[in-house]
Amino acid sequence: MSGRMAASNRVAIAGYAQSAVERHASTSLGALAVETARAAMADAGLGDGQVDGFVTGSLFPTSGSHAAEDGVSLVTANWLAERLGVNPRYAAGFQGFGQIPGAVSMAVNAVASGAADYVLMHRALHNPRGRYHENDMREVRGVQQWTAPQGYFGPLAMIALTYNEYVQRYGATREAMAAVLVEARKNGARIPWSYWHDRPLSAEDYLSAPMICDPICRYDCDIPVDGVAAFLFTSAERARDLPHPPVYVSGYATGSPTTRRLPMHWPLDDVMGVGAETARRLWAAAGVGPGEVDLPQVYDGFSPFVYFWLEVLGLCPVGDAHRFVADGGIDSDRPGSIPALSGGGALGNGRMHGVPQMLECYLQLSGRAGERQRERVSVGLACHASPHFGGAVVYSAEPF
Amino acid sequence: MSTELTITVRPLPVADEQSAPFWNAASTHVLALARCSRCASFSHPPDLVCPNCHSTDPGFVFTPVSGRGTVRSWTVMHQSFLQGFDVPFVLVDVELVEQADLRLIGRLFDGPDAPLGIGDAVTLAFEDVAAGISVPAFTLEGPR
Repeated sequence: MSGRMAASNRVAIAGYAQSAVERHASTSLGALAVETARAAMADAGLGDGQVDGFVTGSLFPTSGSHAAEDGVSLVTANWLAERLGVNPRYAAGFQGFGQIPGAVSMAVNAVASGAADYVLMHRALHNPRGRYHENDMREVRGVQQWTAPQGYFGPLAMIALTYNEYVQRYGATREAMAAVLVEARKNGARIPWSYWHDRPLSAEDYLSAPMICDPICRYDCDIPVDGVAAFLFTSAERARDLPHPPVYVSGYATGSPTTRRLPMHWPLDDVMGVGAETARRLWAAAGVGPGEVDLPQVYDGFSPFVYFWLEVLGLCPVGDAHRFVADGGIDSDRPGSIPALSGGGALGNGRMHGVPQMLECYLQLSGRAGERQRERVSVGLACHASPHFGGAVVYSAEPF
Repeated sequence: MSTELTITVRPLPVADEQSAPFWNAASTHVLALARCSRCASFSHPPDLVCPNCHSTDPGFVFTPVSGRGTVRSWTVMHQSFLQGFDVPFVLVDVELVEQADLRLIGRLFDGPDAPLGIGDAVTLAFEDVAAGISVPAFTLEGPR
């Protein structure tokens, strides 16, 4: 099966809520999720008892010695439904990487199949006290025994190997990556709820930052935060009777590699090979191509993902993204460029995973972006995670 | 090459039923990798199902390999998220000569100042991290 998604443009987002994005919230993550969920329901014009479906991807993405506890460091769909006093007709969690497109796919499938009429999709992310990825383990069992004893541990070392492959293969410079960080933080600085609101980053700041896992420095990683976002999905027909203009889901795609690898080993050819197939699936499912997307939002939890997504989506040639961004190719203020981080991304908002990408598509396509509203945007695309483990969703302001 | 044994707080591997032959061989400075008894391909790390022929009964035999390979990528670690590692240190992603895409990640003993490039030849070394526990690592191969 590789044609247009049967449910293309038949399910829509009808409302949303986004909490403040802070280093440490003043309330528990669970309470923040309940408040944000209620705000999303109210935003969509729904009353008590109307939401009958709950989906999320609840992964707590740390390598550190932190407990994963429902309501405290993560929030599952069932936890949230119970605290809202709802016995859901449908509740499910996405288990893979790319939690945002994964959870969106479950929301679309639930509405399209009739499993639920109004589905709340949420993402709750937590920044624990103490160092995020630090781990005091003295013994290594299971799959990590193959790498941790050598000191290969955590996602920064992982992305450093992938990025260095790119740097060596294509001659990418730090100056080029500075353009990515400056762009993400410029746009994040304009967003009131962003952790980086009013705090842009200069290229000089980026270039003077010390290396953590060379060639990855501190600014190449999004900052861990507490934050929750929620989106309300329903059928296109029902959405048209609700207060806000619907934003339609035209298609989604995910994928995952079949090559056996060491834990957290992401060779560049895996990223690009599986990513290319995900992109092909996405265009087929949504019925559009890269030239028809006004508002691609690439994922940037680690800055090199910006290059990988630009290239697998065909927005620039493979191996050319570093030159493309250095030449202003993603400058959201320059006419004719591709505003690939106009929503600030994770680098410009904080570690909200793929939420900033999805939220920017929703706000711009529904005409609700306020002072940041862009003109003539009709098709958006929101990516999350690495191209070879994550996915992407195409959104449209009009059904087609 | 081996390092002086000191008391380390580095995380130590705990061998299990499947990995025990690997760690036993490593303790004698031999790199032995899992080889499927059906299709003869190496798998690192081994799995419950052979990643190549998908046999559910791969009967892995841990077979010594040369430990020679080429550098596919590397990173200089300036911060460790685990205890007991003195920074900076270099980690190399090595493709072993025995099989296409057979990879091993380990420390490069030559250090962060050694010139390094994709495709450089490396050879196996071991770090003796505790009594009876040695961890595979690499050194750059000299000019041939």
